[in-house]
Amino acid sequence: MLLIFEKSQEGKKGVDVRKPEVKEYSYSSELLRSDLDLPEVSEVDAVRHFTELSKRAFGVDDGFYPLGSCTMKYNPKINEEVASLKGFTDIHPLQPEEDAQGALEGIYMLSQLLSEITGMDAVSLQPAAGAHGEYTGLRLISSYHKSRGDIKRNKIIVPDSAHGTNPASATMAGFEVINVKSNEEKGVDLDELRAVVGEDTAALMLTNPTTLGLFEKNIVEIAEIVHNAGGLLYYDGANLNAVMGIVRPGDMGFDVVHLNLHKTFSTPHGGGGPGSGPVGCKMELAPYLPNPSVVKYGDEYFFVNDPDSIGKVGSFYGNFLVYVRALTYILTLGKEGIPYSAKIAVLNANYLKKKLQDIYTTEKKRHCMHEFVLSLEKLKEETGVSAMDVAKSMIDYKMHPPTMYFPMIVHEALMFEPTETENKETLDSVADLLRKLHEMAYSDPAVLKSAPHSTVISRPDEVTAARKPIVRYKKP
Amino acid sequence: MGNYVPLTENDIKEMLETIGVSSLDALFSDIPKKIRLKELNIPSGKSQQEVSDVMKALASKNTVYDVILRGAGSYSHYIPAFVKNITSRSEFVTAYTPYQAEISQGILQAIFEYQSLVCIMTGMDVSNASVYNGASAAAEGVLMCRERDRNKAIILGNVRPDTLKTIKTYASAQCMEILEMEANDAFVEMDKLKELMGEDTACVYLEQPGYYGELYSADKIAEAVHSAGAKFVMGCNPTSLALLKSPGECGADVAVGDGQPLGLPMAFGGPYLGFMACTEKMMRKIPGRIVGETVDHDGRRAFVLTLQAREQHIRRERASSNICSNQALCALTATAYLTCLGKEGFRNVAKACVSLSHYFAAQLQKIEGVELQNKGEFFHEFVTIIPDKSEEILKALAKNKILGGLKLDSDRILWCVTETSTKESLDNVIDIVRGAICC
Repeated sequence: MLLIFEKSQEGKKGVDVRKPEVKEYSYSSELLRSDLDLPEVSEVDAVRHFTELSKRAFGVDDGFYPLGSCTMKYNPKINEEVASLKGFTDIHPLQPEEDAQGALEGIYMLSQLLSEITGMDAVSLQPAAGAHGEYTGLRLISSYHKSRGDIKRNKIIVPDSAHGTNPASATMAGFEVINVKSNEEKGVDLDELRAVVGEDTAALMLTNPTTLGLFEKNIVEIAEIVHNAGGLLYYDGANLNAVMGIVRPGDMGFDVVHLNLHKTFSTPHGGGGPGSGPVGCKMELAPYLPNPSVVKYGDEYFFVNDPDSIGKVGSFYGNFLVYVRALTYILTLGKEGIPYSAKIAVLNANYLKKKLQDIYTTEKKRHCMHEFVLSLEKLKEETGVSAMDVAKSMIDYKMHPPTMYFPMIVHEALMFEPTETENKETLDSVADLLRKLHEMAYSDPAVLKSAPHSTVISRPDEVTAARKPIVRYKKP
Repeated sequence: MGNYVPLTENDIKEMLETIGVSSLDALFSDIPKKIRLKELNIPSGKSQQEVSDVMKALASKNTVYDVILRGAGSYSHYIPAFVKNITSRSEFVTAYTPYQAEISQGILQAIFEYQSLVCIMTGMDVSNASVYNGASAAAEGVLMCRERDRNKAIILGNVRPDTLKTIKTYASAQCMEILEMEANDAFVEMDKLKELMGEDTACVYLEQPGYYGELYSADKIAEAVHSAGAKFVMGCNPTSLALLKSPGECGADVAVGDGQPLGLPMAFGGPYLGFMACTEKMMRKIPGRIVGETVDHDGRRAFVLTLQAREQHIRRERASSNICSNQALCALTATAYLTCLGKEGFRNVAKACVSLSHYFAAQLQKIEGVELQNKGEFFHEFVTIIPDKSEEILKALAKNKILGGLKLDSDRILWCVTETSTKESLDNVIDIVRGAICC
């Protein structure tokens, strides 16, 4: 498929705007740029181009999307409709508070709802993504310790099963990272934890359920160990979908949490963003949340700034239209629908796991939460067919592959998260397919190793892409 | 109650049997009883129709102005019908990050085209796939200039307040020193700048146009910055790049900005689009996703996420940033916007902004008691000084469903005029302002 630049022809015109009925103003030449070489195409050319691009993409609306840790649940259409209301899209972020009462009320409502769902005392909706939320949350922790004169606490403890963003956020927030190994059950090793906590511990970052899709059974003890050492507990909300409305991070002992509205609360991923990563915290940390926050006096809503705040982490108030969608979703589900969705997410994952666990290696003794990890190490040894080959083969059957090679502590890992919005027929067909691929790995491995076969490209050469980077179009 | 579960009671029963448990609750046996929640203290779920009503009522409590003369980081522009229509396609909207290149060529190519457009507009060599917003782009842009012995940044001239605050937040965690140097109406005292810069200066950050719309001699500043061995980071309004000298032409090492004016609604501040571009030399320091062109095993053109050795999922605590997403749908919006307007349409948008804003400024100045703070050239924003009248003027305009400029203080208002205004609407504003001043 040609690039839009390769379809451009001099003199072709697209959409135009009104010509102003005032004198044209011109700058002197030293301020002006040389020619701006944007593409020149007609509107219909542009429509065909982008429509063709869309046909080369695959969304939740196109089929099964079991990306572990990403919670690719259905994105309800009502959310999209609400987010395109003029009263939300056409309001200026700096218009007077009295002219934006609906927006402020929405921010206030969603913050309250998320506080209750997480068991926190305050929530800021400003972070624009999960990693942004992590960064913000860690800055709160830093400010909290500093405000108490506890300036030695410069270390963040991160399990080896953690998302890569955890250690990266800790570094960005000015901390040193201490990695701890997992125990045999792939949970936090309590002895190891006791050995590393101390006067320099700022916090432990934890995902629960863990990135292996298992609930961290020792969470109460873990919280005790960290708190007794004077540290705080940070909750990575990536996997909240499994337990929302069933157990709250605040009740597990966490002090700070970030959520991914684009995972747990059904806002679309958009091909990589925009997301939204609200941060919640306990009362002691609330003064440090990003400015401004919304408060209610009587029937009116106002922005307030706290002098102790960590300041701003981005423009204005975060990804407003994203959290309008999440608010719509939470109002729809309510106190019954939230835990019910979590339960079905867990049911779907356990059902699929059960149908695969006799041929693929996985944790069998315990129930998984919303996701589970298969190890294809044995299959690879015996057939040469890797986790990647199986994942790529799924594409030929109109399914998105699961998350591959994560968590890093499992070899040849495939991580499945079906979510609560898949039906039984789909799960049955997925199980059938994965069983069939397992057989094919022995009978016809070459087909799997060269998959996918039905896509517009075969596997790309990523090594050359990185070694000789071409990252933009250049006119020949 | 609402939910999106597509299972029947019977399905659930069968599935529980297959798993070998008696109830849904039995699946949660790993969670200690003492911390389990009895019930969420939030309202019951509602039907779609009821939720729709609630949200519409909320939206209707916000004033949607007929005429908008306020910018300051969020700009009201005409959004061609094409843009919303194309970017609403659910293949784009509901897709994940394009890790699986074979079924994500559409998204990858769109990002590649976006990166190319950012490079063309900024005159830089490399663009990333975008970051959260203009403020975080500026902060990341400043951070990426750090070197072992250079850990100080100078923020030059008038910078948008949110951007400045965000830079400070990000820098403080890295113990990076931030100095601010004022510039009165784009006049930069070069000697003072040279004095401020030392061997420890990593970069100088300048916004062009500045917060008050003012235009700087960015190329001269770049020269001075480079002679001190520091990097030059320019924050730009993308609409201005249709006409004004690009950061590349000015000699910038890094160009950043907010892509909101490129087809994204004001939407009470987000989601927006942070664009970041740099010279080839700095390619491996730029944070965030990057899409590159390569070939597939059959030799066909293919696009992939590339240069991932910089990123958090590989390098963990040693990554160049923690960012693991981009504003893909917003980047697609900007790509669609620039494509459908094209070379001529986009220039016409910028020209209309400039001509209308200068007309409006000239008409305002004809009113007795109105002075322009900007003495030099400006783009589509400028500041008026009208002693003690800010409040009255803005109130009078609001009564007529006009969102006036941003009140800076009791005397000063920051105005912005885009192609959404007409001569007629501006003349009407002039009359109202005149009325508010003399009475």
